Formats: sequence, structure tokens, C-alpha cells
Amino acid sequence: MTLKLDKVSLFRYTDTLLSLDEVINPGEVLSIMGPSGSGKSTLLNAIAGQLTAPFSMTGSIYINDRCIDDMPAHKRGVGVLYQDPLLFEHMTVGQNIVFALPSSALNRAQREQRVSEMLAEVGLNDLQHRPVQTLSGGQQARIALLRTLAAAPSVVLLDEPFSKLDAATKTQMRTWVFGQLKVRGLPTLLVTHDSEDVEAAQGHLIEIETC
Amino acid sequence: MSMLSRTHWLRNMTLFQRLTLSVRALLTLLLSLPVLAGLVGVVLPAFGYFPALDAHHFTLSVFAQLFAIDGMGKMALLSFFTGLLATIISVASAFLLLAVFYRSSYLNKLQTWLSPLLVLPHAAAAIALLFVLSPSGFFSSIVTNVSNILSSIGLSEATSVGGASVLLPPTWAFPYDSYGISIIIALALKELPFVFLMAVSVMSQPHVKRKFDGYFNSATALGYSPVTLFFKVIFPIVYPQVRLPILAVLAYATANVEIPLLLGPNNPPTLAVAVVQWFNHVDLSMRFRASAAALLQVAVTLAAISVWIMGEKVAKHAQIRFYSNGHRHTGKTLSDIVAYGVVALYTLLIVSIIISTLLWSFATFWQFPAVLPKGLTLLHWQTTLAALAEPFNNTVLLAVLVSGFSVIVATLALEAETFSGNNGPKSKPSPFFNGGAGALLSLTLFLPLLVPGVAFLYGLVWFQLAYFNEAVWFHLFISHLVYVLPYVFISLAVAYRKFDPRYIQVAYGMGKSPWQVFLKIKLPLLFAPMLVAFALGLAISFSQYLPTLLSTGGRIATVTTEAVAAASGSSARLTAVYVIVQMLMPLLGFVLAWWLPTICFNPMGRYTLLQTRKSKL
Repeated sequence: MTLKLDKVSLFRYTDTLLSLDEVINPGEVLSIMGPSGSGKSTLLNAIAGQLTAPFSMTGSIYINDRCIDDMPAHKRGVGVLYQDPLLFEHMTVGQNIVFALPSSALNRAQREQRVSEMLAEVGLNDLQHRPVQTLSGGQQARIALLRTLAAAPSVVLLDEPFSKLDAATKTQMRTWVFGQLKVRGLPTLLVTHDSEDVEAAQGHLIEIETC
Repeated sequence: MSMLSRTHWLRNMTLFQRLTLSVRALLTLLLSLPVLAGLVGVVLPAFGYFPALDAHHFTLSVFAQLFAIDGMGKMALLSFFTGLLATIISVASAFLLLAVFYRSSYLNKLQTWLSPLLVLPHAAAAIALLFVLSPSGFFSSIVTNVSNILSSIGLSEATSVGGASVLLPPTWAFPYDSYGISIIIALALKELPFVFLMAVSVMSQPHVKRKFDGYFNSATALGYSPVTLFFKVIFPIVYPQVRLPILAVLAYATANVEIPLLLGPNNPPTLAVAVVQWFNHVDLSMRFRASAAALLQVAVTLAAISVWIMGEKVAKHAQIRFYSNGHRHTGKTLSDIVAYGVVALYTLLIVSIIISTLLWSFATFWQFPAVLPKGLTLLHWQTTLAALAEPFNNTVLLAVLVSGFSVIVATLALEAETFSGNNGPKSKPSPFFNGGAGALLSLTLFLPLLVPGVAFLYGLVWFQLAYFNEAVWFHLFISHLVYVLPYVFISLAVAYRKFDPRYIQVAYGMGKSPWQVFLKIKLPLLFAPMLVAFALGLAISFSQYLPTLLSTGGRIATVTTEAVAAASGSSARLTAVYVIVQMLMPLLGFVLAWWLPTICFNPMGRYTLLQTRKSKL
């Protein structure tokens, strides 16, 4: 799986925010650093299919060599992790993950089984039936990643995903998240303010200058 | 380029998204068509065209006859001034309350206590004020008793006329005074909570609140007192956002029927009341006069709105000097006095209204000036509840249908905004709408609230009788819908637009379609505000008097029409029961809206329950 940004330029009204021409290969992380308002989030929105006025884009985006410019957001297979875990509070931990599983041939019991396995792999199986509000910040962040992975995305976008965690959890989570993404061979785009994130990601870094 | 991207954008939408766009268009039609059709139905007879009465020629003679009526000018002036003054008083006191209590811990309490008044029907409010303020009412009997006691122990020399006179109620201006002061008091008391809560809802939007907190911190550092700062910095930002609701209040106040009908003078009454009397006159030819008067009512309302807008212009000029004069404590003492005075007044009124209506509803013999009735009985409750069974069922059935339909339409229309809103560089977000088509939507939302009901409702009835005479429930439904839908939409919009769009992206990332996201993520997460909007819709429908009366021609009775009928007729005891039922009905809706979200779509609620049970075992 690859993510290709083919001569992509982003604009706010008519001002150019940033221009990129990059390929992210399977298991690679491309990190982007820059001040607020430099167009980092706009880039994520463009890839996710959520670009709204006054922002616009030229160039093309390819996932697995398929152009996604005209594809609606929900068909792109772009998983996003934000700084907040954004777990659905009307569902339990297990229901959050079941919801993310692709609606494939698996029947209900098999889907439940799959969720139990996923949780057991990371030692969180006792959380399956808990309301999400009862989890610690670190646990919520882990469930959020599991949920993203459960959906079997083609590309993962990380929007300052560790910025709200405490120092100890942060280090653990970095290693774990990048490990999981690499194992699955997912091309990943990381947007961050924190140079330690970039070090842990072990990939290219693009720094956006202020205008 | 923009045309191209627009067609492209349409092509990329799912069926569900296209449906929501159609519902958004439907919303505009549902609100504007009845009002516009209604206006046409009034304009034609006003100019002498009324085929049903064999009048086929346009003429101005109807107006000539109307203006020749004795006291016509007084009726119009009464409507104009009562509405305008009541609005000035309620808006001024609402903002004074905010200036003094914004950022204080009392703000939440004020919100809690004023909210029930928002949903209290105008008719019930007017009847309740009759109970406490009339010459033989609750206050009067207390005053009389106190002065009796004082005079009997020789502290007062007031009762010089003799022992007998104190047994008679004193005569004072309330109610039915010919200057309409009672109307002004009642309208101002009823509208203040609306203006206050509207402003609070604007000010408590997260981004607004953050901005204001910053202003307060920096301006306090410059030595401004919070109240002065409020008027110099906060008010100019908040006012434009609550301007439409305030104009709606003004329009409503100039054209209201229930309050002047119950509390106002009779000879002559306010214009709106006169219009209703003429429309309901047995002599059908009075329809011409009524239609012309209804148009005059529109003119009166427009005049009041114009005066208000001129006042805004003058204030805008004056305020430039006010901002830059550098005074840091302007109006602080005065605001404090007025704000605490208003709170004291409301507390006093609410407490005495509750006590006196409750007592009346159970009272046996209760003669002025006794503070308490001779004894208590359940008889009035039994009589009234038996008589109310059918009106109650009608009221609830209608309200559930109208409010349920409104919630569905409003939700889908708001959903359309989440992907169509802000889709042009020129679009400018505002508190009631987003996006380019927003200006039109905002106007249609307020159209039924800005055009006097007495004007368009009669015209609407005329159309309905001409084309679908037998569909009484349909007429009733439409006439309630034009009032319920705007409030449901405005109430729901606040929560819907606050919904974190990142949830939606998270779900899109899982390959969920817009419809699945709507059904499985948004609806459950927005369940609570949707129920609140539903409960508000119920309350608005419960309180409608004129639309019910007109669209059914009295064929379908509701609790509110029965209450007004009771208040102008039979005993105070039965009326008291009606008022209490009217107060309780909307509250039940809100209790449901508060309780259901704790058991539905809430794993946390079940979990907490289980944990407490475990700890008990």
C-alpha cells in the first residue's frame, strides 16, 4: 500500500499554504512539522476528503496507484487518529471496535470473537464490555488505534496523536503505535509539533516554514 | 470554476445526502408557503374581493369604512405602544441581568428558573397574573390584611373611611386599564426570559465564551468594572446575534391576542383583539373589515419594527462616544439595582403565583380579603379533569405529531448543512444558519414569527376552507407547524452545529457512509438535544391559542383554548386547575427529555448502576 501526493498544492482563498510531491511507501511514516496555520490540518483534510471552503487543492492524490480526488470521504479508506481518542460514548469499548470492522462475511459471533482477539493481543481483553468513559487516557488512546486498525484502512493519518498524553504514557504509546503501523505495512502521514514524535517515527521529515 | 465544482460536488453525493438537501428546501417551503398564502387570503378581502360573499370587485371602500370606526386610531396606538414598551422593558432588563450575572454562579440558577417561564403559555401567564395582581387577588388581600392589622394596632392612619371600606377590594390599574399598562407588564414579564435565554445560548457557545473570557481578563486588567465592560464590549457583539429573535418578540408583542384579551381594556381593545372579534363575528360581512384591520395590524407591527431599527441606528451613533469615553464604571450601581430588583420581582411573582393558583384549585369558599380559603376540596380537580379528557388527548396527539415531524425535518435540514454549509468563499457563519443559502433560511425561520398571526392565519383558513374544507386536522397541523418548526430548528441547531466533525471523519475512515454515520453515530450522540428540541416543540404546540381556534373554527378543543374560555367565563377555581395543567404539561415533556438519555444509548448509565449494585451486595 502506498500514498502518493502528486504535485499537491493547498490554497486558502488564493494564498498558497504548502506544496508537496511525495510518495509514502508501505510501513513508512512521513512527518510534517510546522507552525499552526501552516496548512498541516488542511493537508490531512485534503487526503481524508474533507476539504471545505475557503481551502482548495491542485494536483492529485493516489492511494495504491488509484486517484482518489473524486472519491467521497467514506470510500477512501483513510483512518485518522486525532489528539483526542474520540471513542463513541454511546458504545462500549467492544462495540466501538465491532463498529469499525469491515462489513464482511464474518457473522456476529465471529466479529465479537475477532474483537476479543484484537484486545487480547495487546492485553486489554478485560476492557471489552466497559463504557469508554471509565478508561484511562492511555487506555483510550490504545483503543482508538485498535479501532482505526480494525477498519483495515489503506492509509493512516496521525494528527498530533500523542500531544494530550502524559510523559510516561507518551513514550510507551509512540513505540507501540509506530510498531503496529509498521507491522501492518501502512503508509502513514504524521503531523506534529513534537520533534520526539518525529524521532520515534523514523521516517522523512518535512518542515513547513512560516510565510 | 465555481459552477464546475458545484456540479461535481452534487454528483459525488450519496442518495441520503441528496435527501437531506431536499428536506432543507422543504423546510423553507413549509414555513413560507402558509404565511404567504395566508397573507394573500387576507389581502384579497381587504380590497373587497371575496367570491364566497359574492364580492368580485377590488375597492378601497373597506379601508375607508375601517378608518371611520370610532376608536380605530386608539386601537392601533394601543397595540403599537404596548408592544414597543413591553419589548424595550424586557430587552433592557434581560441585558442588565446578563451584565450583572454573566460570569457569576447565579447565571445557571437564573437559567434554570427562567426556562419554565419560556414554555409557560401566554394564556396561562396572563391568567396567573390575574390571580395575583387583580384588585381581589393575592397581593391585594395581603396588602389589605397588613394595613388592617397595622391600623388595628394603631400604627397606621390610612383607613380613615371606616371599617367597611377595607372589606372591599381596592381599585387599582390592574387589569383592564385603558392605557394597556397591564398588557405591558404581562408581556414584558413573559418575554424577558425568552430574550435572556436567547442571549445566554449565544454567549455559551464554546468559541464565543472563550473569546469573552479573554476580553474580561484583559479589560479587568485595564480597570474596567465587569458591568461597564459588558455594555462596552460584550453587548455590541451579542446584540446583532439575538437581533432577529428580538424583532420576533417585538412583532409578537404588538400582535398578541391572549394577553390583551385576558388583561387588556375592552372599549376599545387592542387592534389584534378587535381583528379576532370581527373575524369571529356572526355577520360574515364583517370579514371585509377584519381583513383590512389585519393588514393594518401588519402595518402597526412594521411601524414598531421600523421604530426599533431607527432606535438601533441612533444608539449606534451614540455608542461610539460611549466606547471611547474611557469611563470604567458607567452604570454599575444602576445595573445592580435593576438586576436585583428584577430577580426579586420574578421570585415574588413566581412564588405567589404558585401558592395562589394551587390554593384556588383546591379552595372551597374564599372571599376577599381572606388570605387563605375556608377549606380544601378535590372537587374542582375532578370536574375539570373529567371535562379535560378530550381536549387533553387532542392537545397531546397534535403536539406529538407536529413536534415529531418538526424534529425530523429540522434534523435532516441541519444534516444537509454538515456537507453543504460553508461551500463558498462568501459564506459567513451566523448563529442561526451556516452557508450561502443561510440568509434565506434564517428569514424563513423567522417569517411566521415576524408576520402577525392574526394576519396570515385567517387568510390561511380562508384558503383551506376553499380547497380542503374537511381536513381539519391537517389545517391544525400546518398552523401549529409554522410556529413549532422554527423553535425546534433553532434549539436543535445549537447542538447540531457544535457536534465535533472529527467523529464524522473517524467514522468515514471506517468506510461508513453518510447515512450510517447519521444513523449510528450522530442520532445516538445527539439524542439528548433532540429530545429537548422535541419537548420544546411540544410546549410551543401546547401553548398555541389563536392557530388552534382559527384553523378548526372551534371544532377541535385543546387545553389552551379551554383555559382561555374558562378564564373569560366560569369560576376562578376551575380556571386555576386549567392553569396548573397548562404549567405541568410542558414540564412533563422536559422531564422525559432529561430522563430518557440516562437510559438510552448510555452504557455509562448502566455501568454506574451495576457498580452501585455490586458495592451494595
